[in-house]
Amino acid sequence: MSEPATELTLDTPSLLAREEHEVAIVGRSPWYLAWRRLRRNWVALFSLGLFIVIVLACASAPLYAHHVAHTGPNTVHATDQIRVNGKLRAVIRGGAQYNPATDTFEIKKVDILGPTWWHAHGRFVLGSDNLGRDVAVRLLYGGMNSLKIGIGSAFICTLLAVILALLGGYFGGWGDWFVSRFFDIIWAFPVLLLAIALGTALSVNGFQHFGVRIEPGSLWIPTSVIAFILIPYVGRPIRGQILSLRQKEFIDAAIGQGAGPLRVMFSDLLPNVMSTILVFFTLIIAINILTEAGLSFLGAGVRLPNPSWGNLIASGQDQIQTAPWLALIPGIAIVLTVLSLNIFGDGLRDALDPRSKVRINR
Amino acid sequence: MGSKRHWRPLLSVMALATGVSLMVAAHGVAANRAAAAPKNPQAFGTLRAVIDTIDYLDPQQAYTGQSWWAMWNVYETLLTYRHVDGPAGYKLVPGLAQSLPTVSRNGKVYKFKLRKGLKYSSGAPVKATDFEWAIKRGFLAQGQGVGFYTDIAGAEAYSKNPTPGGDISGITANNAKRTINIRLDKPRGDFLTILALLFAAPVPANTDPSIQNGSIPGTGPYKFSNYDPNRSFTMVRNPYFKATKYIPKGNPNTVEVALVGDADAATQRVINGQSDYSNAAIPPDRIADAKSKGRLILRKTANTYYFWMNIREAPFNKLKVRQAVNYALDRKALQTLVWGGLGRPTQNVLPPTYPSYRKLNLYPHNLTKAKTLITQAGAKGAKVTVWTRNVSDAVTAAQYYTSLLNQIGLDASLNVLPRATYYTTIGNVNTHAQTGWARWLEDYPHPLDWFDVLLNGNRITDQDNNNFAWYKNKKTDAQIENLKKAPILTPAVNARWAKVEKQIMQRAPWAPWSNRVFPEFFSRNMSCIHIQLLYGIDLARLCKK
Repeated sequence: MSEPATELTLDTPSLLAREEHEVAIVGRSPWYLAWRRLRRNWVALFSLGLFIVIVLACASAPLYAHHVAHTGPNTVHATDQIRVNGKLRAVIRGGAQYNPATDTFEIKKVDILGPTWWHAHGRFVLGSDNLGRDVAVRLLYGGMNSLKIGIGSAFICTLLAVILALLGGYFGGWGDWFVSRFFDIIWAFPVLLLAIALGTALSVNGFQHFGVRIEPGSLWIPTSVIAFILIPYVGRPIRGQILSLRQKEFIDAAIGQGAGPLRVMFSDLLPNVMSTILVFFTLIIAINILTEAGLSFLGAGVRLPNPSWGNLIASGQDQIQTAPWLALIPGIAIVLTVLSLNIFGDGLRDALDPRSKVRINR
Repeated sequence: MGSKRHWRPLLSVMALATGVSLMVAAHGVAANRAAAAPKNPQAFGTLRAVIDTIDYLDPQQAYTGQSWWAMWNVYETLLTYRHVDGPAGYKLVPGLAQSLPTVSRNGKVYKFKLRKGLKYSSGAPVKATDFEWAIKRGFLAQGQGVGFYTDIAGAEAYSKNPTPGGDISGITANNAKRTINIRLDKPRGDFLTILALLFAAPVPANTDPSIQNGSIPGTGPYKFSNYDPNRSFTMVRNPYFKATKYIPKGNPNTVEVALVGDADAATQRVINGQSDYSNAAIPPDRIADAKSKGRLILRKTANTYYFWMNIREAPFNKLKVRQAVNYALDRKALQTLVWGGLGRPTQNVLPPTYPSYRKLNLYPHNLTKAKTLITQAGAKGAKVTVWTRNVSDAVTAAQYYTSLLNQIGLDASLNVLPRATYYTTIGNVNTHAQTGWARWLEDYPHPLDWFDVLLNGNRITDQDNNNFAWYKNKKTDAQIENLKKAPILTPAVNARWAKVEKQIMQRAPWAPWSNRVFPEFFSRNMSCIHIQLLYGIDLARLCKK
């Protein structure tokens, strides 16, 4: 039997741990804490899951085209007939019939094959377009192109924006002046108009300057254009954070200890803005997918006949009354992708820094 | 003597009174006769039309079918075309001229005389010298049609240094005698049709050469009353116009024209009762629906849609490749895909409305043969860029074409250019465009408008070239130059043109695929719908129930 304590003593950590059901208090990294917060946000996780499913589906486009639909994204089946529920059906039928003998026309409606779902052994699952191409195949290839451009341009844009923000924020003075004016110049143009102008100009002859050669039909054209025009939208807020961090004591301490500019930028400043960059990266993918869709819709993005969700909507709008699925399906794909990325991006921001007010202002 | 002298003033007063009475009575009779003159029973208030966008409403500048559709009734030319349906609409008749001109034996001199009492819609008299000013104004403003008039003696020199006071020596006009004499450097078989183009419509002397949309007075039955760029314009009656045997007064008192680029919206305006007529190309999937909601008239005009192949650029420098493309095209399927079947498959350069037309069937659809020809030519896998302009039907056709080229073994990709820059880009020698989409709608009904403009090797230019195939063949060029001199399209001349056409198509610089038929859409209350082959729906003869 132990004696009751007669004098006041300080609890040791081990004693405290014993009282707290013998669980030792362990230090947690900010990333772990963020993950713990994120996994409690099931809406964000569901969105991430949805986005991954979309990415996987689009990545499997060549497999689907080869093994299921048995056609390419640009192959025309205007005069083909397929079996739907065992019955032969022309992919495109009807239209005005010309009678050369009388030089007259009998007007009939053009009947484009609608979604067959799985009644045609995987062919034309989502129907045909006005040229007899398989919409499902074009949707998946279109998604692949849209995602390639969206993710690729987000990566390039974020990378360049971070480098410029670090340079401007760290060096200040003239360096910061040049970086800021560069951001201002791009910012001064309406985003979509600048993108259309660059996309249209580059789509004719491609880009052949500074030892870089991009072919006119290459996906690198919309990728580079979108990456370029959105640099200030990512770069400005990050530069602001860098400028603020630059005044902190730990930076002065690092410099005092003899750390060079590169080391301060990449070892001290960058890790402190990493969470912001991550959130921006996620959100900018969604914006880039939308921008690409807009550009391709206007004919300044992915070059026809190659599909993208934007040009699929543009092609479908001519048949909106008789074949609404042509514009509707890629539209839904864009909505789901952008929504999933935005919700996940918001969740990620809340998880990484619940008090953060990071926003992409366009 | 004295009594006689007394009666004389009285008789004079009586005679004067009688004279005045007779004059008043005569005036009254004349006035009554005028009041009793039969009015145009088919005249009606307002025609509300909706048409696709136009370029200009200036006679020396306008070069679109939409503009010409309206301007044909505003600006008269020395010679014009009859307001009748069918092939008779191609017949040249006197317009401002009193009669058809006298032409010299060598085909170089044309003599016209203007009708008496002609006035512009401003009330100013039409002078013979106004014709020369119209031609000069075209050169001064660098109008789109000046190239047609360079065969007039002195015009080539004038075009190099055009000044308002300068002179085109080949045109001599006498205002007192109302005569216009035109002298050419060399005979030109299509010159009368060229004079009937709106580019040559006389305008008041010293009208500013700068573009003036709808404000230049004309001589036709209507005048433009206002023009709201890219939105609308209105045509009202020209009070100084006098109908002739060939130029009717026109049934609508006013024509209100809305400019709507979106064909779907234009069609909907007619369905909703906001417009009486739309010439917009109804989207293929709406044609059957539109037919049940109004009056759908099919207009067969002279046009050819084709894919050109640049014979200077590989792989199209090989005849077998060009033939392969022609064999591969499924022309019938293309009509359905591109405009819901409203087109006639063709392998000809000339449209079937021409007397020189002889149907060609050199390349029946045969995909296997096409693939074999590509292999034989050693062009398998050759990289090809297909060019087209960013207009729905052209993009659809070019996508089909690109897919087809890939199917026969080439490695094709598509380049879609903005509508405004397409022709100048592909017509530039430095573009090295290999193949692409094009169409030709006639300027005037003569084979020279096709073969000379589009396929004469002698007329190839490094910029703004219309011969997109860069087709040059000594034999063909010589024949075209020779046929230029023929003043009239006799059956023998027509047969020679047909031979030229066959020669060209055997060398396959083009793959023609359609003579398009344009759907014209009217509300149910419109009648007397007549189609003039060159200018389309004849608005002057339309009636409203």
